[in-house]
Amino acid sequence: MNPQLSVAALDVAYGEFQVLWEAGLEVAAGEIVAVLGPNGAGKSTLVNTISGLLRPRAGSIRFEGQRIDGLPAHRRAGIGIAHVLERRRLFPFLTVHDNVLLGAHNARARPQREATLARLEALLPLLRTRRSQLAHTLSGGEQQMVAIARGLMAQPKLLMIDEPFLGLAPRMVEEIGVLVRRIRDEQGISILFIEQNVELSLKLADRGVVLESGRTVLSGPSAELLRSAEVKRIFLGEFAG
Amino acid sequence: MSLLTVRRLSKRFGGIAANREISFEVAAGELVGIIGPNGAGKSTLFECISGFYAPDAGEVELEGTRLTGLSPDLVCRRGIARTFQKLRPFQGMTVAENVMVGALTRTRDVRHAREQAHEWLRRVGLLEKANAYARTLSTGQRKRLELARALATGPRLLLLDEVTGGVDQRSIPALVELVRELHAGGLTLLLIEHNMRVVTAVAQRIIALHLGEVIADGAPSAVARSPKVVEAYLGQAYVA
Amino acid sequence: MKAYAPALAFFAAAGLAPLVVDDAFLLDTLVLILVWGCAAGAWNIAGGYAGQISLGHSAFFGLGAYAAALCGVRWNISPWYGVAIGAAVATAAGTVIGFLANRLRGPYFVIATIAVSQVLLLGAARWRGFTAGSEGIPVPFRAGFWTLGIADKRIWVWIVLGLALAVYLSQLYLERSRRGFQLAAVREDEDAALSLGVRARRLKVAAIAASAAFTAVCGALWAQYVGFVDPLYVFSVDLSVRFSLAAIIGGLGTALGPFLGSLLVTTVETWLRAEFGGLGSHLVGLYLILYGSALILMVRYAPQGLMGFFYRR
Repeated sequence: MNPQLSVAALDVAYGEFQVLWEAGLEVAAGEIVAVLGPNGAGKSTLVNTISGLLRPRAGSIRFEGQRIDGLPAHRRAGIGIAHVLERRRLFPFLTVHDNVLLGAHNARARPQREATLARLEALLPLLRTRRSQLAHTLSGGEQQMVAIARGLMAQPKLLMIDEPFLGLAPRMVEEIGVLVRRIRDEQGISILFIEQNVELSLKLADRGVVLESGRTVLSGPSAELLRSAEVKRIFLGEFAG
Repeated sequence: MSLLTVRRLSKRFGGIAANREISFEVAAGELVGIIGPNGAGKSTLFECISGFYAPDAGEVELEGTRLTGLSPDLVCRRGIARTFQKLRPFQGMTVAENVMVGALTRTRDVRHAREQAHEWLRRVGLLEKANAYARTLSTGQRKRLELARALATGPRLLLLDEVTGGVDQRSIPALVELVRELHAGGLTLLLIEHNMRVVTAVAQRIIALHLGEVIADGAPSAVARSPKVVEAYLGQAYVA
Repeated sequence: MKAYAPALAFFAAAGLAPLVVDDAFLLDTLVLILVWGCAAGAWNIAGGYAGQISLGHSAFFGLGAYAAALCGVRWNISPWYGVAIGAAVATAAGTVIGFLANRLRGPYFVIATIAVSQVLLLGAARWRGFTAGSEGIPVPFRAGFWTLGIADKRIWVWIVLGLALAVYLSQLYLERSRRGFQLAAVREDEDAALSLGVRARRLKVAAIAASAAFTAVCGALWAQYVGFVDPLYVFSVDLSVRFSLAAIIGGLGTALGPFLGSLLVTTVETWLRAEFGGLGSHLVGLYLILYGSALILMVRYAPQGLMGFFYRR
């Protein structure tokens, strides 16, 4: 079975500071995968390398069979990978409409962007009701939805989200969770996301990958990882239950 | 009397309470680990103790001497030294000169400071690099340099901020051993660590923070099993 | 000892030159090289060693120049008092600017220093009752050492050489002393230095105050040498830029650098004036183009300045 995304033996460093050591993961088409791990484990670094914001020192990234680690970041958007950044990172002084449209910048998605937008407005009514509102005036949850919509405008096959639930109220967390499920169920888009909240993530995802100190130490179906003693040990050390 | 007393320390940033009424004591000679998920307030706690932030409320005392709100250089001269999570060597100076800056806080004599610097470098295993420029060091070596530099100021209490962060797996045991040796030599240590294996191996006592509050304080085995801690890190599903 | 060879060569050459050179023009150039070298060296104490880049040092230079001139014109006392008074006033002004350095970062501090020098410029140019306003003050020439009325340029060379040695040795002291180490740490990373117990704020103020005092002494001596104090010149931003330029081109944070930088900058400038003499404003543009180009080339290819050719760091 050929995975849609295949990352292997990645070494990534910031100058002298090595953060990832032979890290790897796989995402099958249509899967929801959660990337977990203690702080400083390298989760964001891994996703940033997949989307091209960082260059690996060694290792490979394959998307739909093709190696993409040589491709600059703005090209990766064009081949079907979209990245929603940590803390949303909307353009604060642009409207919701402009923010979202910018998501379809890449050459493949641009001709169809009005159609894509219409489809997304059906999925997320607030894109229509708040279309002229400046992004920085939205609540955290609303911003997260707009950021995800912006990612979807690129017509991705794989959507990567860095900490979708960060700083959100419980009700919003639920709504975003439902949205993520719908995106996969209705459009078949695979989703890779990073989260701090282990339980929440594993209830949403099909599979989980656990990083520790820059290495992939555990991976498997969510059901297995949920309540797993091994996960406890990774987060809480040898003494954990 | 305890060496360090933190009493009801509170610090807000805008709408967020980074530290909420944090209280604990550290006795001379203890090695205490501070853990907590992201955003728990660990770094803020260190910044407040070391004088880089002034807390909104609460007190920090070193053997009865009030340190709350004092500037960082004053805190250091009173006996608390620290390392930084993002390493900050003096790039344009040699390794020995880096450590001398620390030593010069205790002695006025440059030659004496140089001798002390060499001694500390020997203790941390960096003596051969004494005349190399700090910017040529690897991450693990820089960590040792930060240690030596802070130690040269002759502290009663040392705050270590993520001393194993960014260090490759193979080098961690040696670094941990160094920390143990320093502790055995009588130094009181407070460690922020994300690497639970390191903390549980080396700390006698762990204080766990979550959302700015202390949620557990005790022996590593007890803290790691505490339901509040498990829930903070992993979620309800993992509790027992 | 070998490390000091360039410095020995420089100062020896400067000291011996008056014995072999007769040409007034060349001696004049030498005096200027030394004066601007001293000013650059003084600037270097704040900019190179303490890392406080200021473009307002002409404030201190002007204060020194005016102190010397006013001593002669208004109070009829020896301009040597002017040197002392100028240094004292400049130290006070430097302390104020040091206070600013602890409140303002980077570009904001630079702008504040420029502002201070321009405020003084305006003050000197307007306060006719005190400073004779924008006409400037012609410094009276009264022959004699005590009145610094010296016609022989060779003596001037040695007087300024004395100051140059003082500035050079002060910088050397800074490199080797406890304060110097601490200052270098503050320059590299102030927060890390603070965490090691270094009194960063106090050190920065002291460095700027010392830098100010030396600069004022330069100004006082220069005023006596040139014989005329023009507020639009002594407090100008141009002058401030020249000090920093000479220090940066020569080698920021090195003891000899400012003098080498001044050697280069002053000779080029003098040559330009000689070649294109009489083309007033035209010249200013040419200087700046050359200065700017030199800076760009330096930063790109020789960030250690001229001193970088002697010592690879």
